[in-house]
Amino acid sequence: MEVDVAAIGSGPAGLTAAIHAYKSGAGKVLLLEREEQLGGILKQCIHNGFGLEQFKQDYTGPEYAERLTEELGKTNVQCLLNTLVTNISPDRIITALSPEHGALEIKAKSIVLAMGCRERTRSNIGIPGTRPAGIFTAGVAQRFVNIDGYLPGKEVVILGSGDIGLIMARRLTLEGVRVIGVYEIMNYPGGLKRNIVQCLNDFDIQLHLSHTITEIKGRERVEGVTISKVDSDLRPVEGSEQSIECDTLLLSVGLIPENELSKKAGIELSTTTGGPITTETMETSVPGIFTCGNVSTVFDLVDYVAQTGTAAGISAARYASGSLSRIRQSVDIVAGKNVRLLFPERYSFQDDLVLFIRATEPLEKPVTIEVAPPGSRINRPYARPNEMLRVKIPKGKLAQVRDPIRVSIREK
Amino acid sequence: MAVEKRHFVCVVCPIGCEIDVVHDGGKIISMEGNKCEKSEEFVSQELIEPMRILTTTVRIQWSKWAVIPVRADKAVPKRLFPRIMKQLRRIRLQAPVNMLDVVVKDVLGTGANIIATRTMPRE
Repeated sequence: MEVDVAAIGSGPAGLTAAIHAYKSGAGKVLLLEREEQLGGILKQCIHNGFGLEQFKQDYTGPEYAERLTEELGKTNVQCLLNTLVTNISPDRIITALSPEHGALEIKAKSIVLAMGCRERTRSNIGIPGTRPAGIFTAGVAQRFVNIDGYLPGKEVVILGSGDIGLIMARRLTLEGVRVIGVYEIMNYPGGLKRNIVQCLNDFDIQLHLSHTITEIKGRERVEGVTISKVDSDLRPVEGSEQSIECDTLLLSVGLIPENELSKKAGIELSTTTGGPITTETMETSVPGIFTCGNVSTVFDLVDYVAQTGTAAGISAARYASGSLSRIRQSVDIVAGKNVRLLFPERYSFQDDLVLFIRATEPLEKPVTIEVAPPGSRINRPYARPNEMLRVKIPKGKLAQVRDPIRVSIREK
Repeated sequence: MAVEKRHFVCVVCPIGCEIDVVHDGGKIISMEGNKCEKSEEFVSQELIEPMRILTTTVRIQWSKWAVIPVRADKAVPKRLFPRIMKQLRRIRLQAPVNMLDVVVKDVLGTGANIIATRTMPRE
């Protein structure tokens, strides 16, 4: 099979990319999805707050997915469901498997990566103790409750204050589960402030900052956990241990971009975002392969995911038609003071630069984001590690730049 | 009613202002910490009756999935959440159900409908 643009994954990133590749004039667009329905993880995110920016509507995840799917239905994008991509080659040949079509080989003029991210597990953070049943990542528990209709347990402790953990604290409380508390190793919350308020405070669920779990107890099933305070180096404080009885532990301890396929294609990955090193056109280090959404870096809001999906779809269509410049002139974008990560990390002089920035430390006061060269300064009321900052530098301002672009956040 | 002090985090926008308010039976006497006027409406409502959008699931038969996601089509009093959940737990829908189909009309007399948020065909 030969196509102009192939998008891999049909969550908000892939759907948006496919729609915009079509709208930008790509003749044959193919969307590959391993599940039996489009929408990706949106299907299990049944809470509202999706699409406030993009559609000026307060949708739930499934509604947002159906809205995008409807839009996709007005295009001639071909969808292959139940189709698992097993390989991408650097010359853009996709190998995929499906019960209906068997083994497929798809030659694509350009490819959009939209595989999303996966959750960090107990092994990623190394909690000592036994290995009983009853330990779930928050997203897996979310799937059990919201799609399969099962509750993960009766008395739950949540480790980590990522957004999915907060959302699940509320969801389980509504379903009659006792949520004992949320424990966060950092001295600031991982999730958005509005989720702390609406998911924890609203239901009198306690958030314990600077705490972690130092032991899991139980043989067949979780019987309890040991909670410890941590010091400023995040080491457990001796003598602060506290034993809590519970039958379930949910982990909301971070997300990792899902880049197994990107590695096979020989794409250069970033050590900070975990995703491909990308230019402002969403192009990776392999020409003709673009990236968007949480496979690139983990975003806070679906609106940001959709914005990168739009950019990747447009660029992929332009590449396929030969109208995207193939001159590889670019400069690096590097993190300066109080910047933990940046997306994208390269600028290739083709479009305006929309920068997503995550701060290292919370600054609860007016800040200036400095982008130099060209020396742009943008003010914001605060900078918090749990809320990405987004700034736009027009193409015209960047034309003369030759040195790496340094991005810093300073107190105003 | 006596004069009382309360603390709120405003959720009108992502800034999340921490607001200290002094009120007399829901009437705001003074407010501190808010960066804009929008917080005033939010805090007034919080003092009288906190309202939220409820999102949950209900059981469904003849579908590939065991449950279907639903939500209130406008904010309902937060204190009614347990009672609404109890009512929704008794419901068994039958596929096919379309997105935005009404599952419960005027739930507990709030004026809000519980509507489906996903289309589920019959299997």
